[in-house]
Amino acid sequence: MSYDKCVRCGSCLMFCPMFDATGEEQFSPRGKTYLLQVMDQIEEDEELGKEFRRLLFQCSLCGRCEEKCASGVDLLKVWHEQRANAIDTAPEEFAYLEPLKDALSNVKNIYGLAAEDRAIYWLDELEDEIPGLEDRVYEKGKTAEVMVFLGCLMSFRGSQIDVLKSLFQTLEKLEVDYLVMGSEEFCCGHPLYLMGDDEGAEKLREHNKGVVEAAEAKKVITCCPGCLIQLREHHNLESAEALHHTQFIDQTLETIPKYKQTEEFSYHDPCELHRILEIKTEPRSVINKMGIEFTEMDLSCCGGGGLLRMTDPDLSDKVIRLRAAREGVKNTTVITACPSCREQLLGQNLNTKDIVELVSKALEGGAE
Amino acid sequence: MRIRDVVIGANASMYYKLNFRKIKGVYYPRTVQEVVAAVKHAQANGFTVTPKGGGSGLSGACTGGNDERVMISSLQMKEILTISKDQGYIDVQPGINPDQINAILDPIGMHFYVAPSSRDIATVGGILSTDGGGNDTWVNGTMRDNTIRVKMVLYDGRLLTVDKDGVKSNDSELEARLNDIGVTIHDIASSHGTLGFIAEMRLLIRPTFTETKIGGLVEFPECNALGETLTTMIQRKTPIRYGEAITSAHPDVREDLKPPLLILEFPEENESDIREITDYKPLDSKELAKMKDIRIKLPKRNPNEGIQVALFEGYGFYGESLRKLQDSINEVDELLISQGMTPFAKYGHGPSKWYLGDNTPTYGLILHSREIKPEGKTGQELLNTVLAIVDKCEELGITPKPEHKWPFSDVDKKKRLDEIRRVIGDGFNPFLLSSECNDVLGSMV
Repeated sequence: MSYDKCVRCGSCLMFCPMFDATGEEQFSPRGKTYLLQVMDQIEEDEELGKEFRRLLFQCSLCGRCEEKCASGVDLLKVWHEQRANAIDTAPEEFAYLEPLKDALSNVKNIYGLAAEDRAIYWLDELEDEIPGLEDRVYEKGKTAEVMVFLGCLMSFRGSQIDVLKSLFQTLEKLEVDYLVMGSEEFCCGHPLYLMGDDEGAEKLREHNKGVVEAAEAKKVITCCPGCLIQLREHHNLESAEALHHTQFIDQTLETIPKYKQTEEFSYHDPCELHRILEIKTEPRSVINKMGIEFTEMDLSCCGGGGLLRMTDPDLSDKVIRLRAAREGVKNTTVITACPSCREQLLGQNLNTKDIVELVSKALEGGAE
Repeated sequence: MRIRDVVIGANASMYYKLNFRKIKGVYYPRTVQEVVAAVKHAQANGFTVTPKGGGSGLSGACTGGNDERVMISSLQMKEILTISKDQGYIDVQPGINPDQINAILDPIGMHFYVAPSSRDIATVGGILSTDGGGNDTWVNGTMRDNTIRVKMVLYDGRLLTVDKDGVKSNDSELEARLNDIGVTIHDIASSHGTLGFIAEMRLLIRPTFTETKIGGLVEFPECNALGETLTTMIQRKTPIRYGEAITSAHPDVREDLKPPLLILEFPEENESDIREITDYKPLDSKELAKMKDIRIKLPKRNPNEGIQVALFEGYGFYGESLRKLQDSINEVDELLISQGMTPFAKYGHGPSKWYLGDNTPTYGLILHSREIKPEGKTGQELLNTVLAIVDKCEELGITPKPEHKWPFSDVDKKKRLDEIRRVIGDGFNPFLLSSECNDVLGSMV
């Protein structure tokens, strides 16, 4: 088993956002692999087992531990498998996840809202500003070069509407032949995957794959790194390439008009984007093409991943609160490229912009 | 029992299977007052106290053995208290690590020159407790050489300040008794948490030293030639800034290295001195960085099949055992193989410096060792191998575990610690000095 390879050197501790926020070793990757290594000594203690299972979900799965591990422990895989074991072993302890599972099973989105409403909220908001947007919503028989996969957050959250607007405006400006999956979009399966439920995730993926194929799309683009993990790594798309929107923009635009910068920017690189998907150069390339000066934030987690917002919202809040204070970004606008990170940043009343918002503005020829 | 009582046992040594029910409390204090409160709670209930830093040490001291005990982690005591650039010191809490200190110091042009390979997790309190160092102890000394003074909490809650000249305490009688027996910072160094909890430290810092350096690689036909080269460097006091030897490495982790070899970095102005000693192949900065990276990851990497184990993580070769390095290593390897172990890698700092139990500075090669974990060996069998290695070291004139020490075989150090504990009390980590120590450690392998 991979966790046996952990030599307990402790190099993962100081980089772990959970250890940073709590200060206690049981929250650290070493602490958790150690528990697995000594499980034979403690497994009969029911209370310890319960506590351990809870600990497995007190993690944002940012992957920094795996990146730092010189012993070659495939930690993300370990957490994935152990989460699945935990839920199998004691489903009653995870009853709070049932509404999410039910929502995904019944209406195929994390909010439990009607499936057909996926393209309702943002369409209401944006159709006046973006003429013809309604025609961009996929229906059987429609085809396009590019399929936009919005994901649950961007489909339903009002806080994402500015990003959506910028994305559509950019695609329109670039005269891209695109469709949005709309009510035919199912959740990508990432939340189930994060619970270790591969089977449940696969059912959702199969549907999405069918829609992409029916639309004869050559590219699927998404703003959400979590969705992209699923689309690129698990959807088994045969005829379409899954891309992050920053990759698509970087590929499409060799140059971008200079952004009229009047504010100080910092860049928060989403963990799932740079560490798990290894998309590092394109977001920066797009920012640089606009001539934007920015400060790199630490390559650490915002606390919004791994279902942590659901499994331990206080811990999730603490992670981002500590970072915001430590990195002194209160007076800057934090650029990012992930709807989940954006929610975390907004939760701390930080100014934040998705990269596509800046691109859209630059293409318009000005800054705010 | 709660999960935090179990997880406190996580440490890098092979002694990690603790009897968790004997852990009666785990504390993560942030202040000296909170440390005192934790220690007093232990004392009031008749529990012993085990301090723990980053848990990256390999001696097993931070496990606390099998006593009913309270564990006190320093990981939340990571504040920098004062920096005096003019006077060259920094006051810190004990749970901070060298990388964290230097992240603060570097912008002001100062540096704390203690750099163990575990400097991203090893706490300064823990490094002093093992008198650790890194590949630059040859130029910068061990942790004790870079510690000006420490404040400690004793088992009865009293506080002590110890520096190179002696002890200060509000308790004048205690102060006098400890000064009568000559207690200094040398005694705290390598005491493995047996004297008290190090609660504050004043550390030596120096201006960041920049010089043009040359990187080089020397490959040897066998290790006696390497030992001779290091001996000459020590005799000539050659200013090696970075010296790392790799005498063997398993093919799965060797990459394109051809051990035995010595990776060097030295001032440009000493190029001809080095050439006189050995014929090196120059390395550009990229090549040198790659070599350093391979080296620093060796303690953590695993073979493709199986898992590495730090059975006996270090050997201090000096004098004759250094000059006859190959012969010495052969004897050690023969012993390991005869005990069913498979050598995995040997690598370490040279020239290097460490202290013997009587505080004599010693210069030579600190060679770390890793083996492939054997299947089917009991903890006691593995510990018996360790004890056989200690005997072999004594026979060959090798210091066993020169960085992390082997207090159980270091008669001078053990005697000295016992002498001090007769004055200050014996509530801290008593298992290390007890006659059952070997059995206890064997049960945790």
